[in-house]
Amino acid sequence: MDIRDELMDHIPRLRRYARALIRNQELADDLVQDTLERALSRTGLFEAGTDLRAWVFTIMHNVFANQTRKASARALHVSVDAENIAESEFAVPAGQTRSLEMRDLDYALQRLPQEQREVLLLVGLEEMSYADVALTLGIPIGTVMSRLSRGRERLRNLMAGVQPVAKLRVVR
Amino acid sequence: MTDKPTSVSEDEVHAYVDGTLPNDACERVGHAIARDPALAARVNDYFSLNALFHERYDRVLTEPVPQRLRSNTLRRSRAAANWPRFAGLAATLAVGIGIGIGTGTGMQMGHDAPAQLASTADTRTVGFDSTDALARRAAIAHVVYMPTVDRPPELRTKSEQDFVQWLSNKLGTDIHPPLLAQSGYELMGGRLLHDDHGTMAMFMYRDTKGERVTLCISRRKQSADTTAFKLYRDGPVNVFYWVDGDFGYAVSSGIDRGALLDLAHDIQVRLTSATSG
Repeated sequence: MDIRDELMDHIPRLRRYARALIRNQELADDLVQDTLERALSRTGLFEAGTDLRAWVFTIMHNVFANQTRKASARALHVSVDAENIAESEFAVPAGQTRSLEMRDLDYALQRLPQEQREVLLLVGLEEMSYADVALTLGIPIGTVMSRLSRGRERLRNLMAGVQPVAKLRVVR
Repeated sequence: MTDKPTSVSEDEVHAYVDGTLPNDACERVGHAIARDPALAARVNDYFSLNALFHERYDRVLTEPVPQRLRSNTLRRSRAAANWPRFAGLAATLAVGIGIGIGTGTGMQMGHDAPAQLASTADTRTVGFDSTDALARRAAIAHVVYMPTVDRPPELRTKSEQDFVQWLSNKLGTDIHPPLLAQSGYELMGGRLLHDDHGTMAMFMYRDTKGERVTLCISRRKQSADTTAFKLYRDGPVNVFYWVDGDFGYAVSSGIDRGALLDLAHDIQVRLTSATSG
């Protein structure tokens, strides 16, 4: 089986990941299309015997990062830095619902900083090992863990409608 | 210090949730959870989040892959100014089905020996090879361009023969559209489409009732034996297509399928006689 065919086998998973990453179906498929086109034009750069999934997800990550860079250049209020987003901005009134509601998932994910969203989905949805996530995103594994930890807790709070707690203070 | 035997790290909590923690560490996390309701709630929610991802997004895995993401459609979409439009439209059209028409339907294939036809039928696949790609492009081109096509006013009164010449000159191709007046169709216009597969000439015809038919002719990179007609359907559009030597042909229309097959036969005969004559 040549790379082209193998790439095609990854399409459903790429689409699933893109759909979770970007809520809009058309835009998500655009991302998949751009990713596949770029991958197909660079099959020569793929090292046989290495993980094709990590390779193509890396390409998707790069395409996505480029797109959001361009988008954030147009929309200056979009901050990439997680800590700069006011917590109140994405807090749902407490007590409205305590359960993890399906319909809120799309929305809540979009409120996560992009780099946390990626890690969270690669781990939780794509079920990559932490090492593969590090490889895919080109970051140290420690960074994977800290993004996972922060992203998960943030998403949990968003879904539960809880005001995120200000970072734990040491009380003596 | 935090390295009491019962302490668990944040990383371990996540590895526990993601099922990547070694057994002995799992046990420690389990003990910690049993003693710490807050941790238990957190871990429970983390599990729920992972499950929720799958519940919410796994359905994408079983969705049919849109045409524009299929291997034989990819790359072409950025190749020419014409194609982004097609790519988008292809995604919205119903998924086409290539159906080989068996030799048993009694079609005439001119000089083809029955034995050869049978073998062609046997080896034919329903997958998307380059001929199928032609059919798909033809179906899309029919939908995209047909409604807007009309003869330029200054050429309405010209004879068919003159119009054919004018059109071929304008398109800059030596591919001439066949005249289908005897079948009741008048040539209305033409267009050249370029993409990875090469150049495809399309010609639009209309009958007196306003029914529209598109004939696409594509020069093949490799010559091939004549094939039987195949039917491709894309929503309301039927496409009969075939290969004859250096060219691939596709006739698309929304008219009755039987009538379209008859017309395809007429066209095939006319093209063959034009070549040999």
